[in-house]
This record gives sequence, structure tokens and C-alpha cells, in this order.
Amino acid sequence: MSKEQTSKRRNWNQVGPYLLVAPALIYYVLFWIRPVFRTFLFSITDATGRLSLENFRLVLEDPTFIPAAQNTAIIVIFSVTLEFVAAMALALLINRKFKGSGILLFIAMIPMALAPVALGAMWKTGFTTHGWVNSFLTYIGFLDIGEKIIFLSGESRFKNLLLIILIDAWQVIPSMMIILLAGLQGLPKEMMEASYVFGANRWKTLRRITMPMLRPTIQTAVILRLISALQIWLTIVMLFGFGRVPVLLSRVIYYSEEVPNLTNSFRMSSTYSVVIAVIITIVAVMYLKVSGAFGRKNGGERS
Amino acid sequence: MNLKSMKKKANLATIYIISVAIIFTILVPVYFIFSISFLSTREAYQYPLPLFPELRSEIKLESGDRGVLLSIYDKRNHDYETLLDTSDFKKMSTYMRTNLSLNFTPEELEEKSSLLLTQSQVVFKARKDVLHNYKTFFQVTRDAIPALIRSIQIAFITILISLSIGGTAGYTLARYRFKGKHTLKFSILFVRMFPGVAIAMPMVIILANMGLYDQPLGLSLVYAIGSIALTTWITTSIFLGIPVELEEAAQVFGASKLRTFVNITLPLALPGLAASSMYAFLGAWNETISALILTQFKPTFAVVVYQALYGSTGQVNLTAAGGIAMAIPTLIFTFIIRKYINQMWGDVSV
Repeated sequence: MSKEQTSKRRNWNQVGPYLLVAPALIYYVLFWIRPVFRTFLFSITDATGRLSLENFRLVLEDPTFIPAAQNTAIIVIFSVTLEFVAAMALALLINRKFKGSGILLFIAMIPMALAPVALGAMWKTGFTTHGWVNSFLTYIGFLDIGEKIIFLSGESRFKNLLLIILIDAWQVIPSMMIILLAGLQGLPKEMMEASYVFGANRWKTLRRITMPMLRPTIQTAVILRLISALQIWLTIVMLFGFGRVPVLLSRVIYYSEEVPNLTNSFRMSSTYSVVIAVIITIVAVMYLKVSGAFGRKNGGERS
Repeated sequence: MNLKSMKKKANLATIYIISVAIIFTILVPVYFIFSISFLSTREAYQYPLPLFPELRSEIKLESGDRGVLLSIYDKRNHDYETLLDTSDFKKMSTYMRTNLSLNFTPEELEEKSSLLLTQSQVVFKARKDVLHNYKTFFQVTRDAIPALIRSIQIAFITILISLSIGGTAGYTLARYRFKGKHTLKFSILFVRMFPGVAIAMPMVIILANMGLYDQPLGLSLVYAIGSIALTTWITTSIFLGIPVELEEAAQVFGASKLRTFVNITLPLALPGLAASSMYAFLGAWNETISALILTQFKPTFAVVVYQALYGSTGQVNLTAAGGIAMAIPTLIFTFIIRKYINQMWGDVSV
């Protein structure tokens, strides 16, 4: 290789990578940083364009804000905890190859594959009083013929939230289980065996060996789950409408789609979306910090 | 030894019981929504809902007070249920189509009824039009078909943008060492952490300024934000999996960088690239919230289905058909790319 060629190659190695990632960076500046910046700017200016916290006052004074925030918090805390614990338990129980395990994993993917709107349709046809859930309960003998449970009365907040958490669990647990199972099967078996040899019991091995080794997988699964749980809205709106079980994200849709012509609508939905963005960022960063993801160099990713 | 093998068997039995329970819990709701989408309106108003949609109906025609009496055999009560008494065959034909999912022209019905002159009743079996709800959904839902076409357009433009931009970035991250590489990787994850709505709201103004508000291209630009990040993430791991020695060998034999990429790397990366484009497709197809905010007269299919379902109250069979129409492409694509889904969650495979 001639000297000229070598120096050409060195030049390319210095500049090339930056040229190749430049389109992505430019795209993000134009269509991500710019809108994000605009939203923040929009949320801290009033109708005349002056700096003020007027919009946040409007959101905080919105009588639905507190219940929406509470509902979101309850759903996120309980559904993510329940889903993680259940998925982990199931993954540990069936962590072994057996005849038909392929079928199980195949079917466990279905809930993840269904479009959100399709899920909404599924639960809507299910939980109306004459829907398939009551019909199914009748067929298996849980209900007498003609007897019906009213699921969507909307009166008891506890019942509504429980229903939402269960629906969410149906969708999330199988896919989370697949992820954790995949993680478990990727772990070297020798460590666990060594731990048994040295007299540790199952629980101790799980806590001291398996869980720490599985941490990257758990972190990825939980963080993505947290982010999407904070943005839950569609099934809830389909089942309960906008008023009965408000959540933060459904308020954005409420102002932009249901009452788009009020003077404040656009500012309300923008400010709500800023509030959601801030909450998600705080929760995500807090989780990553607590779980120690920043400690690892490559952020849960091999390189 | 014997005790040990018994314990092993008991463990296996537990695993099977749990597996069956999981499969059952998943399949029951899925089965019901499929089955409901094939019910006729008459069946959909029965309670409890039929476990299986009827494929054939038995119809009985008799002379009635006002004309011809239409009855259908009800398997549950083991008896005929009288539905209609009319001399207007057009009305009867419409009734049969909308309520029973049976297609008969007024003339056919008139011909069948003419037999009543010689016999007291006419009984015949007819095949139910099982796809009736789907046809009705597309007919009565305003915009359903143009929206479907638009959704496919949007998905393809999104794939194009994210593959060209994200794929290049992914290749770079996999092949080069440069300053700021790790920051870049982290920022890609951060982009996905930010909720779509927070971008959709200001995008209303930005796209309006560009003349792209309520246009397929405008939505693609928004969807590409998320899918470029994802494509970069996936393609990085794909290119990492292709041995760099192959490229070096090609270059030793005098091939240029570009030629090496096109002839050696790209063909090897193709399956992975196909998978990441399906991801982009799914993201664009399923997305509802930005589409609601960023469209007005040209909604996407997800928006159309959402609006149809949100407004509907009684008709469970139509609701189910809309949901299934929405779900089918996502089901197919997810199963094609299921191998790659696990790769995303760290380097693990089932």
C-alpha cells in the first residue's frame, strides 16, 4: 500500500464516521430537538408570547389533573411490579427446554403482536355487559344463565383500576416472560451449579448469582415497560371514555381531539405533554440510577 | 435414584400445567374476538354469545298474516324463531343480509316463496357470509379504504427514511471507533424514551409551515424519529455479526469501500435489514396518538378504526371485525421477525 493511500485511509477513518452519522444527527436536530425545544418554549409562554408559568397553572388547576396523575401513578406502580414479579416467577419455573416449549413461546408472542387498537376492540367486546367475558364465565359455570357482571359501571375507582391493571398484565406478562427466559437461558450454567456445590440453596443462588447476572436484561425490560406504562391510554379510553378513568396521556388527546376549539385547548394539550415528558424522563433516569445502569460502561449493550 | 426421577417428573408436570394455563389465558380472549368477528348481528345480540359462529343457517318460510313469515332455526332452543312477516321481498332480502349475514336477492326469495302455493312451508339451508362484518366495516366506516392505502404509504416512506439514515448510522457504529460513539448510542435510547405526543404537538406547527400537515409524508417524518433510533440499534448488532475480515479480504483484492459494502456486506445484512424494516412498518401501522393529532381529513387506518370503535356501543361483531382487520398485518409481521425481537433485549436467543 503506497504512502498516499495510507494517509488517505487515515483521513477517511477520522472524518468518515462523522460524515456517515451526520444524516441521523441532522434529522434529530430538525425533527426531534427542534420540536422538543418548541414544546418547552410553548409551555412556558402565555397567549401573548410572554414568558410565564400560566400554562402550568392551568394544568394544575384542571380538576382532572390530580385524579389523572394519581391513576397513572397507581397503574404504573402496580402494573409494572405485578408484571415483573409474575413474569420473573414464570420464567424461573419454566426455565428449561421441554417438549412443546416452542409452542408456548410462539403463543406468548401473540399479545405483544396485537395492535393497540385491536386490543381495545378485544376488551371492549369483552367487558360490555353482554360481551364475551360474561358469556365465557357462563359457559364455564361461574355465572348462572342470564346472570351478568357489570364491569364498566365506573363507580368504584378500585374496580376500574384493577380491571385496567389486569388487562395490561394480560398483554405484558407473556412478552416479559419471553425476554427474561431468553436472558436466563443465555446465562452460563456453571455459576449456578458451582453455587449449589458450595451448599447454597435455591433462593440464595437466585438472589446472589442469577439475578445479578440477569441484571442487564431486567433493566432493559423494566425501563421500556415503565416508559410505556406511563403512556397508557387507548384501552382505558375505549373502555371508560375520557371522563371516568382519566390518565395523563388521555388528557392530551382529550384537549386536542375532543374539545379542540376551546381557546386553551392547544396550550393545555402541549403543556400536558411536557408534563408527561418530564415525568417519564425523571422516572427513567431515577430507575437507571437506582438499578445501577450508569455504572456499566456500555449501557446494557454489547460492543 | 428413584426418588430423584420422581421429583424430576413432578417438576416436568408442574411446568406443563403452568404452560397450559398460560396458553389458555392468552388464547381465550384471542379466540373470542376472532369468533365474534364472524357472528351475524342476530347472533351477536344473543346472550351468552355463541361459542362458535354458525356457518350454515336453516331458514323456514311460511304463509303469514301479512305475507311471508320468515323463521330461522335456533340451535339453542331447538326450535324455529320467527323474525319477520312481510310481503315485501326487498325488505326481507335486506333484513337477511344485515341481521343474518345471508345473501339472497329479492327475486330468489320471491321464487322460493312461490312454492308456498303448493306446500305449507319451505325449508332450506343457506351458507352464511362469514366475512359479512368485514365488508360492512369497510363500507360503513367512512374513509376506511383510503385510510388503509394511506397507512401503507406512510409505513413505506418511514421504512425508506429509517433504513437509509438509521442503517448508515448503524453501520458506522458497528465498524468505526470514534470520539463520542458511546454518547451517540445512549442518545439513541434517550430519543425513544421521550413520549411521542410531546413531539407531535409542536410538529403540528412545524409541519404546517412545511406544507406537510395532514399529509402522509408529514406523518412519516414524525414516525421516522422513533424508527431511525430503532433501526440504528438493530442494524448495529447486525453489522457487528458480519465478520469484518470478509470486507478486508475484498479490499485486499482491490474492491473499493462502496463496492465491498454493496457486494459483500449488504447481501449478508439483508435478512436483518428486512426485520428492522418490519419493525418500522409495525411502528407506523400501530401508532395512534400522533396520527390523531397530526391528521385532520386524511386519517390513517389506525385512527379510522379507533374512531369507529370509540364511537360504537352495541355492535360487538363489527367492533371485533375492525379490531381483527387492524391486527392481522401486525400478527403476520411479528411472527416473521420473532427471531430478531429477542436480539433487541441484549444478545440473547430463545
